[in-house]
This record gives sequence, structure tokens and C-alpha cells, in this order.
Amino acid sequence: MARKDLLDIASLHREEIEFLLDQSTSFKKLFTRSVKKIPALEGKSVLMLFYEASTRTHSSFEVAAKRLSAEVTNFNIDHSSITKGESVRETIETLQAMRTDYIVVRHGHSGLPGMIARQTTASVINAGDGAHAHPTQALLDAFTIKEKFPDPRGKRVLIIGDILHSRVARSTSTLLQKLGVEVAYLGPGSLVPKYGPATIPRFTDYEAAMAWAPDVVYLLRVQLERQDVQFFPSVREYHRVYGITNTRLAEISDRGLYIMHPGPVNRGVELCDAVMDYERSLITNQVENGISVRMAVLDWLTPGGEFPRQEAYATPQRASSTVIMP
Amino acid sequence: MLLLQNTRIASENSPVLLESDVLIVEGKIQDIGSSLAIPEGARVIDARGRVLMPAMFDAHVHFRAPGFENKETITTGSEAAINGGVTGVVMMPNTRPALDSATAVDTVLENATHRSRIPVYTSGCVTKNREGKELAEIEGMRGLGVKMLTDDGDTTADPAVLLRAMQYATEFGMFFASHCEVSELAGPRALNEGVMSYRLGIKGSPACAEEIIIDRDIRLARAAGAHVHIQHVSSKLGMETIRWWKSRGDVKVTAEVTPHHLLFIDEHIGDYDTNYKMNPPLRTQADCDALLEGLIEGVFDLIATDHAPHTPFEKAQDFISAPNGITGLDTALVSLHHFFVEPGKFGWDLVVKRYSAEPRRLMGLPVAAIEVGQEANCVLFDTAAETTFTREFMKSKSQNTPFIDQTLKGRVDLVILGTEILLERE
Repeated sequence: MARKDLLDIASLHREEIEFLLDQSTSFKKLFTRSVKKIPALEGKSVLMLFYEASTRTHSSFEVAAKRLSAEVTNFNIDHSSITKGESVRETIETLQAMRTDYIVVRHGHSGLPGMIARQTTASVINAGDGAHAHPTQALLDAFTIKEKFPDPRGKRVLIIGDILHSRVARSTSTLLQKLGVEVAYLGPGSLVPKYGPATIPRFTDYEAAMAWAPDVVYLLRVQLERQDVQFFPSVREYHRVYGITNTRLAEISDRGLYIMHPGPVNRGVELCDAVMDYERSLITNQVENGISVRMAVLDWLTPGGEFPRQEAYATPQRASSTVIMP
Repeated sequence: MLLLQNTRIASENSPVLLESDVLIVEGKIQDIGSSLAIPEGARVIDARGRVLMPAMFDAHVHFRAPGFENKETITTGSEAAINGGVTGVVMMPNTRPALDSATAVDTVLENATHRSRIPVYTSGCVTKNREGKELAEIEGMRGLGVKMLTDDGDTTADPAVLLRAMQYATEFGMFFASHCEVSELAGPRALNEGVMSYRLGIKGSPACAEEIIIDRDIRLARAAGAHVHIQHVSSKLGMETIRWWKSRGDVKVTAEVTPHHLLFIDEHIGDYDTNYKMNPPLRTQADCDALLEGLIEGVFDLIATDHAPHTPFEKAQDFISAPNGITGLDTALVSLHHFFVEPGKFGWDLVVKRYSAEPRRLMGLPVAAIEVGQEANCVLFDTAAETTFTREFMKSKSQNTPFIDQTLKGRVDLVILGTEILLERE
């Protein structure tokens, strides 16, 4: 059953996830062909709406859409003028008037892609919203893990770093749990909130986390731009306490663990340079798999939902017509 | 001359409703009794089954004028009050310009006399332009009848400034209303820090951001010998902090709770519904339960709505961009009936005490009561009828409330103030 939008992982059923991962496998086979393009989305338009800077996610979606023969437009955003929701509302109206088929959106405000989805007939794909969700990252992570562990049930993934601000941690851990993977968090107490899901163990001590015996160590990017409030004393201390140092890499290598990272990497912070050459580093695989996963998502979604809003600004955004009352 | 026959009279002093007729002559309650004779020329209303109670008084409203008349005006705000059975309000001073001087207060009060059918009182700022630095010209505002001082919308962050203000203004018989929030902890998002904020990926505001200031301001009031009124409490520990200080008995502290903090929790935000975005934020069921307990017990002296209108355009933004606050005047009394009185969680006596009598006492005003010789200042409430909060029903200029388009049990049928029938619903 196809959907109009992909906004998060929590609302996806396991069957949908497995379907998307299977489709990704098929699309990845195209990559070895001399002609990598197929006409699946010929005549369809994909609009890239990135309010936050992005290199890999943006280009990954763009390549994915083009390989499906879609027309790709980049919406020029003057960052200086797009700071208030009012501007976003006006943008949504413009987009709806354009009747684009897909909107790939990244925004610093959690929930904003959902708001766009409710106001347009286009299929909206959340390419990252605040600290809320990054569903295609989660899918590509799961796809990458499944390439190494075709039946990932019971495998263990240790996610290290800034859980508090990470949409990747939220989405990837949610998806992995749906596939039967065990997930744990490790990081400074100031960045691993105590009110995360109760099913996910929290560690603040590296050795204790490694004793949990993970199969994959997933490093999150330390978002240095968020360090206006100090969550830890220094990047040097972070690297020493939570990073993959040369010594720790040797242990990881001995134990045969895989390392993942959503990028871009802060070398010398989350990991030492040597990790990039580590044979079980899956960081490049993640990037490559991003394209086939995003092709599967674009191919799966069905644009053209009802345009819901009749009266301008009559109703505050609402997920459904039923208000939750006490 | 108006004769209400067979009504049931609510009072703050008795949980039992008194079945009786009430005769109102020239704006005063002239007689109460069973089967009163119908005076010649009297209008007779068959009020059988309906509850007659003193009209409500809301000690915490934002009427947005001057400066934000697109959200609310004194006229629309006071009509929303009447619509909900409220016949007196206290405006908060976070207008533009802020109500931090006799001139600004005078303008509002002057406007209110022409533009409102009910008495509108204002509070005044503690500090100039609510900036938390220099004391506002407090005595000048007192001269115009201002009793409550507050920088509502923000905490007066510097405790030394607040302490000095308390020491100064207490001499004039004024009291302080505290919006309790450490802004560095709370952040701007107005969502409780917890499971929901984690799920939605929004920086949460921990309850301790509120609790610290509740305790701080009561301590400051104690040191200054001042009276402090704690506004819109949202957390269990906040309630317990007030309870503990009240039990000591060595500081004058009063407190209020809003209907929305009694009714809603952070999970109601669901998929980023901005109608549930307010400050202090909605917290957990345990907090909600504790607030109800505090209200019944008397830790909270009064119910106030923190009526905070915003335009549909503003609230239709994404959750992070949308402003904090919901409207409350049109809906408060009916929602209190529907969710608390009707299911038997508390009685009309509590509603009258906390939403009519105590707020008036706080402001040093005469308390309304359905008694012979009193001014008619009352509401006739139909407990069997229903109210649907459509946009057309709302008299507030804004309709940013979770109750929009909801139907609740109970209806304000009649609002009387002195010789005037302010509202009569067929």
C-alpha cells in the first residue's frame, strides 16, 4: 500500500519497511549497468526544498530522482529571509500553485514537513526536520546493516553521541527496533536524555557500553554548531571519553565490529582518521546506499492527495479532524 | 424587574444548591424565596433546572490592546468574557507599549470605559517595558487603581530588582503576580521536557524551570514582607512548593491554576497541534492530577484562564514558529462544568469560590453573591444544554483553543450585571 508522504519512521509498518528495503536492493542492481536511468518517474517533477545546508542528502535525492527520470528543481532559498514561519506558509502556497509532484524538504523546525504535507497535493519526503526525523537516513542505515546481516534480528547497534539533537538517532533506532535489532545509546549525560524510549539502554561509560557487546558502532556527528550551550567541556575531552581513538579502534577491529556514521564526519572528534580506512567501516556504503533507498521511496510514494485546505488560515495545523480531548 | 423562578442558587459556602425564586429589582437582588409573588410589570423567566451563580471574575487575561489589536481588543475581549459568564477581568500589561506608567494605564482604563460592558482592570509592569532592569513608575499606577504588578510573559529575572520592587510597592498596598520561569532553562518552545518533547524532536522546558522561580519569588516576598501571587502553575512540584510555603504561614502567597493546565497534557499536542502550545507548557498526567488536587484542597486560590489570543495566521505556522497561548474566556465555565462538575470531581461551590469570589478578593473588590441586597452580578447556567464552540459562537477575536468546534455539556444562558442583561441566549 503506497502512501502520499514519508514524514517519519514511527508511522511506517514493518511490511512497508521491508518492501522499501527489497525495492532498494533492486534499484541498487541498476548501479552496475552502463545506463543507470529508468523511466519510472518520467514526466514527474521533484522539488528540492532545503532550508538547511546539506551536501550528501541533497545530492543523493537529486541523483535518485534523476535516475528515475524525474525533473528536478531546486527551490532557491534566501536564508536571510526564511527565518519565520510566515515565509514558509507563503512558500507552501507557491509550491501548491506549481503542482509539483514531490517535495523533498529539510528544515530546522521539527514538524514542518508534516505541515507542508497537509497543505499540498505533492508527496512530501522529510529529508530531516529539526531533531525530529530523518526517515531516508534510517532506511539507508537499515539497508546497509542488512547487507552485512541479512537477518538482523538480535544484532546490536550502539549509537554514540548527541542523541538529544539527533534526528538520525531517533529515526534509525526506531527503524532498527522494528526490524528486531537491539539498540543502545552512549554519550554524555547532557546529550543522552533520560526520557528516551525505555526499551533503549543508556550508557554514559564507554567501557560499559562495549561490554553490552554491540555488533555495530554507529557514531553520530557532533553538531558543533549547537554548542552555543555547552553540553560537554571540549571536543578534545569528547574525543577522549566518547570518540573512537586509535586504541579503541584496535579493540573494535579485534572484535570485528562494524562502524557507521551518517556524515559529515568531524575527524578527531567522533573518530580518529584511521577509522576512514578501517575495513569494516560502512560510511561509504551508507552514502552509496542512500541513492537506491531514495529511489525506492520516490517510486513508492503516490502524489496527488486531496488538497485539504479550503479557507486560508482558517484552522491551525492539525493532523486529523479529530481533536484529542481529555 | 426580573423574576427567576425555580432556579438553583450556587454559593461558595455550600455544596448544596438552594432551590428558589430570585427577584431582581433595579439591578439589585430584592428577594429570594420559594413561590415568590410576581410583581406587576416583572419579566418572568422559568429557570427550572438551571443554576444561578455569581458571575465569574478572571484575574489573568491578555486583551492585547494597545499594540496587538489584530489579536484582540478591549471590546472583543470583554465580549468573550461575557460570552463565558465573566463580568470582570484583570488585563496583563504585556501590551505595546507595555503598561508600565500611569499614562499607559490611564489610556487603557479610559478606553475600557467606552469599549467594554464590564469592568476591566489592569495590572502594571514591575519594570519599565518589562525589561527587568529599572522599576516602573509604580506609585503613579497605584493612583489609577492598579493593585497587581507583574512582568507577565516573562519572569523578572534579576532577583535583586524584584526584591527592591517588592520592598517599595508593598508600602503602597500592591502585590506581585509572578510568571515563573528561568528562561535559560525553559527555552522558547513551550513544550514540556519529557517523552513527548523527545518524540517530537523539540527542546523541552523542564518543570524545574518553573519550580525554581516559584520558590525564589515566595522567598523574596517573605524577605520583603510582600504578597506574591503565583500565576498559571503547571507542575506537581510547583503546586507542592506553594502548599509547603502556605503551610508555614509566614508569607502571604496566593496562586492560580488555569482550566487548560487542569485538562490537557503534553501528549495532546499530538502531531504538532499549535492549539496546545502555551507557556508554561502542558505537562504530564501526574502534574494534571496534582493540580486538580491542589485546586480542591485550596492550594490554588483561584482559577484564571490566561486568555491569550493569537491570530489564525500566527497559530497556523509550524509548532516552533507559532506563538504561545490559547484563548479561554469563551470556554472556561462550560469546560469546568463538562469535565469537573458534571462528573462530580468538584461542585459549583468550588467554581464560585475559585473563579468568582477569590479573584475579586485578590483584587480587593466586593464579592458577588446571590443574596438579598447584593447587586445583581450573576450567571444563569443550563447544565442540561450543550455548547458548540464554533467560530461564530466565539466572541474573542481569535479562536486559538483546543475546544474549537467541540461540543461540551453546559451553556451560559443569561449574564446580568446590575440593571443590564449583558447576554441572553435563547
